[in-house]
Amino acid sequence: MIRIDLRLCIGCLSCSNVCPSQNILRTETAEERRILWKRCREECDLCVEHCPARALSLVPFDEAVPEPEASFDLVACRICGRRYATEPMLRRVEASLPPSQNPEWVRACPTCRRITEAERATGEMVAGRLKRAPGWGGAE
Amino acid sequence: MAVYVDIRRCIGCRSCEVACERVHGGRGHVHVHFVGDSASVPILCHHCEEASCAAACFSGALHKEGSRTAFEVEKCTGCGLCSLACPFGVVWTEKIAHKCDLCEGRAEPTCVTTCPANALTTDFDLLSHRARSRAARAVATGGRR
Repeated sequence: MIRIDLRLCIGCLSCSNVCPSQNILRTETAEERRILWKRCREECDLCVEHCPARALSLVPFDEAVPEPEASFDLVACRICGRRYATEPMLRRVEASLPPSQNPEWVRACPTCRRITEAERATGEMVAGRLKRAPGWGGAE
Repeated sequence: MAVYVDIRRCIGCRSCEVACERVHGGRGHVHVHFVGDSASVPILCHHCEEASCAAACFSGALHKEGSRTAFEVEKCTGCGLCSLACPFGVVWTEKIAHKCDLCEGRAEPTCVTTCPANALTTDFDLLSHRARSRAARAVATGGRR
């Protein structure tokens, strides 16, 4: 049976992804992610091994222990407001990057990061084209 | 090696997106973004020298292998930390991580060989040569690039 330290869990769903018997259930709404670890009798420790936060351990099966459940509020993107990740995951990512990189992009969702990059990459060119408007793209 | 984009050549046809999806079983790694009506640009993995995705990966599935950021699918647990670490939003997770592998096993990445406008290349020298020619032409023609 799985025991979980809810203080360590970051809500990444690795355990649920690797579980061969689908004993770790996930429900995700636009605002919240819930994970339920069912009582399991398997002698398998894939989830324990693959937990990035080392939050899981195996304990002897016990009918009386309630099934642990975790719930995470998803964090809103600072640009578009869509909720895209759990707070502990973002903190972990920030901690894994060197502070010199000033990783403020972590607080924006991947889609907004791409849009920002597209605007940055084309900025100078777009400004040049608009300056020539409405003629740009016409006769050379 | 990485795929370089000549944004002045991109025509926004999204052929690279489609080609990438075709090669990777419907799960592409290229996104063409439009900036108003005046520009389009494919956003794809830069294979960063100091790769944030590899720094965030706890299992070693994402790692540097020479100049490319390589991905070992057997080690991936689908935790999604890499997707949250990528500054350009080009790594995504659906059960496992999906990212540009530079079309391993092919001579050239499919997006590069497919692009009808020759906007994509793996040859950095070609791009800098084009940029220098453009700058020279701008001087010769009085600012028009």
